[in-house]
Amino acid sequence: MQPLPASFRDSAGFVFQQDGMIYRYIQPAYEVHYTHFLHSGLYEELVKKGKIVAHREIVEKDTFGFTQGRLLLPEQIPFISYPYEWSFDMWKDAALLTLQLAVASLQKGMMLKDATPFNIQFYKGKPVFIDTLSFENYTEGKPWVAYHQFSESFLAPLLLMHYCHPDTNKLFTVYPNGIPMDVLISLLPKRSKWNLNTLLHVHLQAKISGKQKQRTTAENNFSKQKMEVLLKGLESYVQKLSRKKVKTTWDDYYTGTILGNEYLGAKTALVASFIKTIDHQTVIDLGANDGHFSLLFGADKVVIAADADSNCINDLYIKIKREGRSNILPLVNNLTTPSPAIGWNNRERESITGRLKADLVLALALVHHLAIANNVPLPLIADWLEQMGNYLIIEFVPKNDEKVKLLLQNRKDIFDDYSLEHFKLIFSDRYQFLKEEKVGKTDRVLFLMKRK
Amino acid sequence: MHFFLLYIDPGSGSYILQMIIAAVLGVGFFFKNFWLTIKSYFTGKKPKDEADKDSAG
Repeated sequence: MQPLPASFRDSAGFVFQQDGMIYRYIQPAYEVHYTHFLHSGLYEELVKKGKIVAHREIVEKDTFGFTQGRLLLPEQIPFISYPYEWSFDMWKDAALLTLQLAVASLQKGMMLKDATPFNIQFYKGKPVFIDTLSFENYTEGKPWVAYHQFSESFLAPLLLMHYCHPDTNKLFTVYPNGIPMDVLISLLPKRSKWNLNTLLHVHLQAKISGKQKQRTTAENNFSKQKMEVLLKGLESYVQKLSRKKVKTTWDDYYTGTILGNEYLGAKTALVASFIKTIDHQTVIDLGANDGHFSLLFGADKVVIAADADSNCINDLYIKIKREGRSNILPLVNNLTTPSPAIGWNNRERESITGRLKADLVLALALVHHLAIANNVPLPLIADWLEQMGNYLIIEFVPKNDEKVKLLLQNRKDIFDDYSLEHFKLIFSDRYQFLKEEKVGKTDRVLFLMKRK
Repeated sequence: MHFFLLYIDPGSGSYILQMIIAAVLGVGFFFKNFWLTIKSYFTGKKPKDEADKDSAG
C-alpha cells in the first residue's frame, strides 16, 4: 500500500487510498494507544459530539495484505480544504476544537501528541478532527509536547489576523509547518506585549526558544492540574481573539450602484430556473461574494463557495453556522493566484486547481475580472472552467457595463476580443449552450452550458 | 515504544515556558475562582461551569 503524499510524518500509521476510498492503517506499536482511545470511551464521546470523524474497523484478516496492526475505514470527507483557505472564524473554531480535544483527552487519560490545522477538515458546516493517531496515552508530569506546534500553527496565524490584517494568515502557505516565532514577533505591533497572553505565549516563547536546553526538571514536574490551566488559558485566550476590521472592495458589492435589487432579483430567478433543469450533486461557486447564489442550493447539494475576499467568506461562514446551512463550504481563494501545491516534493498538499472538481460550476459576474482586470485571454478562461465541471452557469458582462467601464477607466483598452460574439465563439468550441438569457434590463447575459 | 511519541519537535524551551505560563495563569485562575465564589455567596447565583462551553460545535 502506498501512503498518500501527506501521510509520512507519523510512524504510528499512515493513510492510503484504495478503490476510491481513504483508509487508515495503524502500526502494531501504536495499538496500545488506539485501544485505550476506544476503551476509555473517548472515541465514542468525541464522535457523538461530532468533533472527530467516525470510522469502521476492518476486522477481516489480510485485507489489502495487512497481517498485523489495525485497519480503519473513516467516514469519507468529500472535499479536502487547507488552512490557508480558511477565514478567521474557521481558524478560530479549528483552534478551539483542538484545545477542546486536548481537554477531553486529558480527562480520559490521553493527550494530543500533535496540534496542526491540517488535522482538521470542515465537514457538514463545522470543523472535525480527522487524525485518529493523534491521541496518545497521557504521562503524568509531562508538559504538552505539541504546545510549540500549536503556538506556531494556530496562535501565529490567528494573531496575525487579529493584530495586523485578516489576510496575513496567507503567510501560512509559506510556513505550513508553523510560522516561526521570530517571524511572528517581527510583524506584530509593539502594543501586543500589553496583552498578558500574547506576552507569555508569543514574546516570551520567542525569547526562550533556542536558548534553553530541553531536558529540564519541567519534563517530569508538570502536573495534570497545570496542564488543565494551560489548556483552559489557551482556550479563553483564543476565544477573545477577533479579526482586524478592514474595508474591502467587495463589501456590499450587490447593494451598491446599478447592481441593486432588480438586477439581483432577475439573476437569482434565472439561476434558480437553470439549476432545476440539470442533474448535479456538487457545485463550485467561483467568486461567491456573500454566498447569495450558493445559498440557493438545497441541503442535498455540496456547495463550495470560493472568493478572494476573506471578509465575505468569513461573514458567509458565520451565516451558514448560524443558520445550519451545513452543505456549504466557504473558502478563501484568489482565482488569479490559487493555492499552490506545497510541502515535501510539492506533493504533500495538492493545489486547489487539482482539488476543485464538481458537477456544476458557477461563474457569475466573474469573467470580466479575469479577462480585463487580470488580462487572462478568453480561451484560457474557457479551458480552465472546462476541466472543473460538466455544467457551467456563466455570466457575460459586456464592455458597455458600468463595472467594466470602471475597470478600464485608468488603462488602455487592449481587449479588442472582449465581446459577446467572441465569447460565444470561444465557449461554443468546448460547450453546448443549453440556455442564454439577458439579465433584467442590463446587457449582461447568463448562459447555462454543458461540456461537449 | 517512545520512538513515535516525539515525532514532532516539542520546541526547545517550550517545556520550561509551559511551567512559567501555568504558574502565572494559575495565580490568575485562583483569584478569579476566589472572586466568583465570593460573588456567588452574596448574589446567590452559582458560578458558570466553564467546562460546559462548546464554542466550536
